[in-house]
Amino acid sequence: MSAPIVLGIETSCDETAVGIVRGRTLLANVIASSVEEHARFGGVVPEIASRAHLEAMQPTIKKALQDSNLTLKDIDAVAVTAGPGLVGALLVGVSAATGLALGLNKPIFAVNHLAAHISVDFLTHDEPLDPTIALLVSGGHSSLLQVDDITTSITKLGATMDDAAGEAFDKIARVMKLGFPGGPAIDALAQTGDAQAIDFPRGLTTSNDWQTRPYDFSFSGLKTAVARYLEATPDYAKANVAASFQEAIVDVLLLKSLAACKATGIDSLVIAGGVAANSRLRALAIQRCDKAGIRLRIPAPGLCTDNGAMVAALGSLMVAANRAPSPIAFDADSSLPVGVISLS
Amino acid sequence: MTISLAIDTSTSRTCVAVIENGKILWSGHKDGATAHGPALPALVAEAIVGRTIDEVVVGMGPGPFTGLRIGIAFARSFALARNIHVRGVCSLDAIAAQVTSKDFIIAVDARRKEVYWARYVDGVRVGNPAVSFPSDVLGNEIHNNLFPDLIALVALAEEFAEPIYLRHPDAVATADR
Repeated sequence: MSAPIVLGIETSCDETAVGIVRGRTLLANVIASSVEEHARFGGVVPEIASRAHLEAMQPTIKKALQDSNLTLKDIDAVAVTAGPGLVGALLVGVSAATGLALGLNKPIFAVNHLAAHISVDFLTHDEPLDPTIALLVSGGHSSLLQVDDITTSITKLGATMDDAAGEAFDKIARVMKLGFPGGPAIDALAQTGDAQAIDFPRGLTTSNDWQTRPYDFSFSGLKTAVARYLEATPDYAKANVAASFQEAIVDVLLLKSLAACKATGIDSLVIAGGVAANSRLRALAIQRCDKAGIRLRIPAPGLCTDNGAMVAALGSLMVAANRAPSPIAFDADSSLPVGVISLS
Repeated sequence: MTISLAIDTSTSRTCVAVIENGKILWSGHKDGATAHGPALPALVAEAIVGRTIDEVVVGMGPGPFTGLRIGIAFARSFALARNIHVRGVCSLDAIAAQVTSKDFIIAVDARRKEVYWARYVDGVRVGNPAVSFPSDVLGNEIHNNLFPDLIALVALAEEFAEPIYLRHPDAVATADR
């Protein structure tokens, strides 16, 4: 008997995404993004995102089925992001998922967005995912997690105290007039810049911080430092600013991730979330993990940003581990704690 | 003989019914302006036990957006899963169907101290629904505390693809700030 087929739905922010997996094989990963509609507002507008989700939901489901050469009758379970995220956006996906599950009379897994980001790695690398330290970095999240069991036990070691890493990229890109989203623009510009040109601050890395908040992040000081530098230096070299700013973020993310590996004795690191697509983060992570003897895994770039395959992947892991499905009636939770991997 | 699953989430009440030939086979509702998410699947799970559903009919608003979308997203997916048709209705029309007066107005909460409303003469809606402050809605007979009648919802259903929003999303372009 072949492994069960799980359809995953993700609508926590501005991507309407549906993925289908069979066991650990990716069959479809379709993403309809409303990012262009948000660009002129300089960030995601929740109501615009929610309307776009409703509009794109059915075509996205149909495209995923088409890509995988399946019909809905072949689906064994439905998985959906229940949180964290924008509540109005989440509810479109949740309602579409409960409609499917009831219509098909199949189980539903209401899962955590952050856990899904980590679990997508299991589609890329053919080995047990846990235990591992996970660095989750995106436009909405910057968390350092200890994953003892991806289906039952994730502990938050630390998180950002202010902006998410991706948000800092967006804000600096806005000040430098590079457009939205800022991550890819800064990454591209930094390729030709000198990362050591400007010594921007690394948040929460004083010796006192290492005592009291070893695994937390702060990017607001860095953001202010960059803004001040730009103001004081009218003829600034764009590429150098981009490279130095990016270096400051990447450096501190990896310093704390490796410190977490060392302190817990876990010699494995998974980096996930949209910022994991950043080329400097990937390159420096490979370098430092190699030196420290840590097994590094970063999902393929297309699976780092929000997608449905990651939700399907976590659903698939739930099925494989014989975890009980979620009740059919549940609410989206905009601030679902990372320790709650699936709703029961 | 068509058995319809009727759903409306455009008001503070989540309404579900199973209707055959204008008769209610099952009906249920749950009140709560933010309860639609869990309420709808719970009601539908009960409604469909032992029944074959032939079509889905859903209220397309106007109504508070988040709740409204829950009903529509659910209805479309359920229909897709069963490979059946989904039809829509202006929710105000399904509310108006219960009133027998010659000339009246139906109004529902639109948040921000406004209402969604429409006028009905001889049982027929006059023009498109609108959103206004209650003080700007003028009429001798205004009904503002009724919920959709799901028998009427099914009777009035047509090919109706888009939700009735009546408001643009609030957002200011960075260029205009």
